[in-house]
Amino acid sequence: MSVLGFAVLAGLVLAGALVAVLSENIVHAAVALAFTFFFVAGLYVLLGSPLLAVIQFAVNAAAIPILTLFIIMTTQSRRVRPAAGVFYLVAGVLAVVFLAGLWAYLGAPQEAFQPLGPEGLGVRLLTVTLLPFEVASVLLLLAMVGAVVLARRREA
Amino acid sequence: MITLGHFLALSAVLFAIGLFGVITRRNLIAVLMSVEILLNAAAIAFAATAAYKDPVFFSGQLFALFIMVVAAAELSIGFAILLNVFRHTGSAATDVVEEMRG
Repeated sequence: MSVLGFAVLAGLVLAGALVAVLSENIVHAAVALAFTFFFVAGLYVLLGSPLLAVIQFAVNAAAIPILTLFIIMTTQSRRVRPAAGVFYLVAGVLAVVFLAGLWAYLGAPQEAFQPLGPEGLGVRLLTVTLLPFEVASVLLLLAMVGAVVLARRREA
Repeated sequence: MITLGHFLALSAVLFAIGLFGVITRRNLIAVLMSVEILLNAAAIAFAATAAYKDPVFFSGQLFALFIMVVAAAELSIGFAILLNVFRHTGSAATDVVEEMRG
């Protein structure tokens, strides 16, 4: 696995996420988020899982940003007002505390792995995790119906 | 040589960035976008752990798949609720939602 590829992808992912979280222009934030998810798909390729990468690209890097931009258009919100200073303080402290927990993992032993192709992942998806797969489809159906019902215009 | 630690570190930093966004953002759309970052950080951790530690079943990569499903469902419902809030109050800021009464 290429060290350079990982470094470039990780840098782009983190830069995109930072822009998405810090930018005051919400359209810029949404586009940066799309790029972030696109580079996360690249990370899945590095992990030897093209299936995950394709789904990440189709759902998170294409469908969700379009939905987000559509909602931004509908609600006409262009700018995000900055939050009060105390929120930045609390968020910074929480983020640092969370990162402190990271030290436990940095000494993970080095090992190589044999990636599993899309066909192997698909067979496991429909045998080992058949029940969660069906539950997930029902969940998507429920979410679709729920979103339609919730977003419907009420008759006056 | 990229190790599991690298992927977990990236996932943790991404999660911290998303957490920062969830707390500091004042627009509901931006908060939902930060939640998406959190979910993706978790999915990266699952997929990487599966690749390095579970070389037979790769259960974590299937779990990452289910995280994407849940993220899509969460986002569609979240945006539907946001549209209702916007129609009700004319704004998508977090501080206009002060009461639960419709």
